[in-house]
Amino acid sequence: MQWWAWLVIAVAVIVLLVGAVLAVQARRRRGGVIIDRSRRANRPTGGSA
Amino acid sequence: MRLMRASEIIKRPVVTMRGDDIAQVKDIIYAAHGGAVGGFTLAGRGIFAGPMKLGLSWHAVVALGADAVMISDESALEATSVVFDAAASGRGGGGDVLGSQVLTDSGVDLGIVIDVIIAASETVGGQCDVVGYEIEASEALGTKGTKLLIPLPDTLAASGEHLMVPASAKDFVSHDLAGFGAAVTAFRAQLEGAL
Repeated sequence: MQWWAWLVIAVAVIVLLVGAVLAVQARRRRGGVIIDRSRRANRPTGGSA
Repeated sequence: MRLMRASEIIKRPVVTMRGDDIAQVKDIIYAAHGGAVGGFTLAGRGIFAGPMKLGLSWHAVVALGADAVMISDESALEATSVVFDAAASGRGGGGDVLGSQVLTDSGVDLGIVIDVIIAASETVGGQCDVVGYEIEASEALGTKGTKLLIPLPDTLAASGEHLMVPASAKDFVSHDLAGFGAAVTAFRAQLEGAL
């Protein structure tokens, strides 16, 4: 293969690896809203809004 | 009380009173019984930082500002297991409500949760409660696919994938946050009157 073909393959592999790392990081850092069924209210029930 | 969406709080930086930006909010944890926000799990700052082992209890929050969550200093952070109650640590007793299906107690599917509405006290040490869900409406509400705000009772009910609300909740839906506080109050007053 020509040298430029190896260069294209190397660049493609690097782009894929960086993309995969960023995707994993985005998934690890993604937030949510978690309901905690063990936690009891620490106040009397009643309207709060 | 100030109403805000959970998505506005997630990724908000956690800043000490000395001005150090030490973390950002990852997850919001709230109680199934009463809807009180218990605290936050945290992620580090920077794109390569992952989730932190330390969390932030609501009682340690000095102010929940528009641009940052203020705390006194780094000692306000606690182990995530403390922020979660023991039964819910590791998420065994809870789960992310985003994407969950909302069902009425009569078995009608109202839609899918896309955000959570939180009422936070303006005063230091005040209460912070989950008071509603923003849902992508199902056909049952007559506006399939639209975003609606649905109020919650004081006592929530949830299983792994489904969130239960009284059937009358669909009579108190709002289209935006303006007026939603009044809808929550009216809905809860109606529930108390029905008891």
